[in-house]
Amino acid sequence: MKLYEYEGKALLAKAGIPVPKGDVVAGPTEAVAVAAELGYPVVLKSQVLRGGRGKAGGIRFAADGDALVREAEALLALSIGGERVEKLLIEERLTVARELYAGITLDPLTLLPQLMISPSGGMDIETVAHSTPGKLYRLPLDPLDLPGLPQVIDLVLMAGLQGEEMLRVAGTVQNLIRAYFRYEAITVEINPLIIDAQGRVLAADAKLEIDDSALGRQKEAASFTRRERLLDPLEAEAKAGDIAYVRMDEGNVGLVSGGAGLGMASMDMIFVHGGVPANFLDLGGNATQERTAAALRIVLKTPGVEGILINLFGGINNCESMAKGIAQVLDALHPPQAIVVKMRGHSQDEGWAILEARQISIVKFGTTEEAVLLLMAKLKERGVRGSGHTG
Amino acid sequence: MAILVNGDTRVIIQGATGKQGQYHTMKLLEYHVRVVGGVTPGRGGAQVHGVPVYDTVARVMKETPVDASMIVVPPAGVLAAAIDAIENRVPLVVVITEFVPLHDALKIRGMARKAGVRIIGPNTIGVISPGKSKVGIMPGFIYGEGPVGVISRSGTLTHEIASNLTCQGIGQSTCVCIGGDMVKGTDFVDVLELFRSDPETEKVILIGEIGGAGEELAARYLQEHPYPKKVIAFIAGATAPPEKRMGHAGAMISAGFGTADSKIRSLKEAGVTVVESLDEMIRQCR
Repeated sequence: MKLYEYEGKALLAKAGIPVPKGDVVAGPTEAVAVAAELGYPVVLKSQVLRGGRGKAGGIRFAADGDALVREAEALLALSIGGERVEKLLIEERLTVARELYAGITLDPLTLLPQLMISPSGGMDIETVAHSTPGKLYRLPLDPLDLPGLPQVIDLVLMAGLQGEEMLRVAGTVQNLIRAYFRYEAITVEINPLIIDAQGRVLAADAKLEIDDSALGRQKEAASFTRRERLLDPLEAEAKAGDIAYVRMDEGNVGLVSGGAGLGMASMDMIFVHGGVPANFLDLGGNATQERTAAALRIVLKTPGVEGILINLFGGINNCESMAKGIAQVLDALHPPQAIVVKMRGHSQDEGWAILEARQISIVKFGTTEEAVLLLMAKLKERGVRGSGHTG
Repeated sequence: MAILVNGDTRVIIQGATGKQGQYHTMKLLEYHVRVVGGVTPGRGGAQVHGVPVYDTVARVMKETPVDASMIVVPPAGVLAAAIDAIENRVPLVVVITEFVPLHDALKIRGMARKAGVRIIGPNTIGVISPGKSKVGIMPGFIYGEGPVGVISRSGTLTHEIASNLTCQGIGQSTCVCIGGDMVKGTDFVDVLELFRSDPETEKVILIGEIGGAGEELAARYLQEHPYPKKVIAFIAGATAPPEKRMGHAGAMISAGFGTADSKIRSLKEAGVTVVESLDEMIRQCR
């Protein structure tokens, strides 16, 4: 779960990291009230989950109430990368003496969280890593043996800070490490971490992503509600049924699969043989009759779907209940689309019998590729468009 | 021979009294696995399909040595179950459970490394040495005995590849599903190392997918340590739209790292035969 800046800052503040004074608002009147408390000038920051906010003009300044109302209205009419701005964070305007970077993210090579500090704050950290890797100081974090203050100080010294400033930054970084583990984050980033004219160290921005699997016990993060932004009603329907479903544009082949890897491989095979996947769908480990039926309904409703590949294994699940789910939908809807089922595993004979009774094409012993070829042949018979893509 | 599990492997099931646990205890017994106990705190003295249940791993080990544990408890209980197994030095711990919190997985990985315990998973279907034994939830009959070793991140792709081979009369020595999560106990390199010296394994199949760096690290390993066996790889997700999560926590591409291209290129440079289709995979195994 990605957090908005204001949510992330609330968590960081609780972990002892100073953040600028301010509050989140949904309209100009509220903004003026917050600014009255803070005193002018103030900064207005669009609250969106996507990056590129600065470049898109999502951060403005206001020296007085008139300017604040004007800018707030302008920002609240803005979309950034397709995401509408609905909330603004109004904060005191800082006088920046120095901009640093501090972040922790999982390193795919060592599979350990890695602390990163850079004196080049305010820049995209991927850019820093590429152009001036020497300016990025890293420390792997062993969750069973977290670094003490001296190790953190050493890293901050390397980043070029000294004395009191260095000590304040090191303390902040140590709190950042605590926050990463306490809130079970996948990533935390403060960019920039600011030293202002008075020597205060402040998190001027906050990017946090909390592990979804931990939300059951991370009450604070779980309490941040999200209005469903799924524009696509089918994605919403899938989400309600706890089915992983991603819709692709311009596809003609629908997919119901059990397992993400098998789903991705099925999409690859569809592409290789001249089809275009209309969706990715992973039923996951709990493919009951009901969930299989729900998944098939969603794919049947997916616009542009002319043929459907159902690719399942009876592992944790069994083929009989999955076949019953398929049969239930076919009996109710009599869909016109071409359908090929590849299914084997636990209770496969029972499952196959249910499908055979409905004259559904089954691939019993063949590969996913054979199932795709069979489906493509059926589509060709029906004179369905072949995409320009051939493999 | 085979690797990790064989006919002698004595297995316990942590979470044997749950719904999944009971079902898979039965399935292991049907596959003639030497199941020596179940573990569920508070249920000591019970039986599951004739298998005695104990309150702790230590209690089982008072009665019998244990070679492997299969953990099928719900996500919130995995850390405690894994600690129990690790502290008692169960050599092989297979964590089947999906949706294990990342920070728990980090702790489990760290503790296991210090204790010299091998963790497989989380989020895996487990390990099977067809015809000998399994510590996993795969349907045994779609796996056949033979000379091909299989390593895969995805559970259902392990089923797919193994059953495709089995249907063509090509058996497998051991199939290891290392799991779909980003942080896992055992990665491609570790299993490649085991297959290297297994006399029963003649060829190794590596089934990767987009996201993470396990495939690139495997390529680096193969380049630095010349490998005596043919390695054939398939990378799933080459056509997945970037920046969209395709279900697996591990299958995420960010900033060009972990793309299908980078994995395929590095594996090819390491001398691996990378196939583009599942049928080609079968042909390469003949």
